[in-house]
Amino acid sequence: MPEWQGLVPVGSDHISAAPVAVSPEISKSIKRHYRRSMGNAALFATLAAQQAVAESGLDAEILGNGRAGCIISSTIGSSSEVYESTKAVIEQRFNDLSACQFFRIVSHSSAFNVANFFGINGVQLSPCSACASSLQSIGLAYEQILAGRQELFLAGGSDEVTPIVLGSFRHLYALADSDELPPEELSRPFDARRCGLVCGEGAGILVVEEYEHARRRQAPVLAEIIGYATNCTGSQISQSDSASIEACMRLALADAQIAPDDVDYVSAHATSTVAGDREEAAAIRAVFGDRVPVSSVKGQLGHTLGASGGIETAAVLAMMRHGVILPNANLAVVAEDCAGLDLPTAPRQQPVRTVVKNCIAFGGVNATLIMRSAEAGA
Amino acid sequence: MTRDRLIELINQIFVDQFELEPEELTPEKRIFEDFALDSLDIVDLITGLQRKFGISLRDNKDVQQIRTLQDIYDLVEKLARDNPDLIAKLPE
Repeated sequence: MPEWQGLVPVGSDHISAAPVAVSPEISKSIKRHYRRSMGNAALFATLAAQQAVAESGLDAEILGNGRAGCIISSTIGSSSEVYESTKAVIEQRFNDLSACQFFRIVSHSSAFNVANFFGINGVQLSPCSACASSLQSIGLAYEQILAGRQELFLAGGSDEVTPIVLGSFRHLYALADSDELPPEELSRPFDARRCGLVCGEGAGILVVEEYEHARRRQAPVLAEIIGYATNCTGSQISQSDSASIEACMRLALADAQIAPDDVDYVSAHATSTVAGDREEAAAIRAVFGDRVPVSSVKGQLGHTLGASGGIETAAVLAMMRHGVILPNANLAVVAEDCAGLDLPTAPRQQPVRTVVKNCIAFGGVNATLIMRSAEAGA
Repeated sequence: MTRDRLIELINQIFVDQFELEPEELTPEKRIFEDFALDSLDIVDLITGLQRKFGISLRDNKDVQQIRTLQDIYDLVEKLARDNPDLIAKLPE
């Protein structure tokens, strides 16, 4: 465990937010030559990308032919490495820093580390936008493919939990803190007793590919991206507002050329903060009323920050495959300011064909991705 | 300090920092070709040697001539001869 684990802010014994200790056996599955420039975020991204590449049946020839790209982002390149570097500089231990230290810190660290690991030599981008990072990455991959610039991308995001992140949320009263609730019940999107977010970490990486290209190589097609939009409030830095979230979803629906009634499920960003859930609920209510089931998997996973869009999109794909909507974990009493929505509290068996996925971030950033199941699109 | 001890300390850097197996570390091995180290690794090697032996190497022109493990042994041994006080502080 890093020494800074002791600095993770704990306002009470009930805050549960410790960083994951990556097993040396797992991390050393990545050769040192590649691993040396990775902080945890890039390591998580590479491990997730390995799974995506294997499941999709991609090989080195396709990834290295110049028509494959890599768009992966995070809130900060590696916040744990930022901490270690800053500490070394303050203590005037410059010589303790690795030659690769800066490569672990820079904002596009996950993107170039994954590209380098797989020999991807096409477009490499990293649209860092805090908690909307990975959904913007997937959306940008979709736009690049629509424009004919690439045939496929590894796209998504990664993130890690450190005092820089937790301390900042806590300072803003956005980190869950309650003496009355056990740790596993602290993340409770849309609930009357919600009191802030619980941080998680990890990575979610998808293969986003031009449809015919995927068909030709007989890749397993899980879903089709049919619409995407991103916008911002232009007036807020610490949160978004219902008007801009609603506008973002309507732009994405227009891009997909579908109506709200065509949507089977909304995968909400809903982080369990008081203001965030209230604003997103109002926006969803304005677009969909109570006709479409809405849930946030942050009750189960916590808020994985810049990775959340990628991880939660992967969860949506699993829901499509299994024909089930995951419930809002820990939702006991719907908050008055989140009322008027269909908020499942138990797994719901139903076809999940067309899905709206939201992500919302610091900076007043919104992103909405719309996917249609492979079955519905065929 | 004996030459064997000095070699042992240098080899330990290669084991710890570059994850090489001790049995790979024979004097004739070329650090770029045989160990697949690159320019970034050389920066870390210099840092490791400086930290281990308390010597300044960053601006030492002889460092640029290093090709084999033997070259490193010889360079550090020469520096040890020139700086007996520093080397004397090393743990036996």
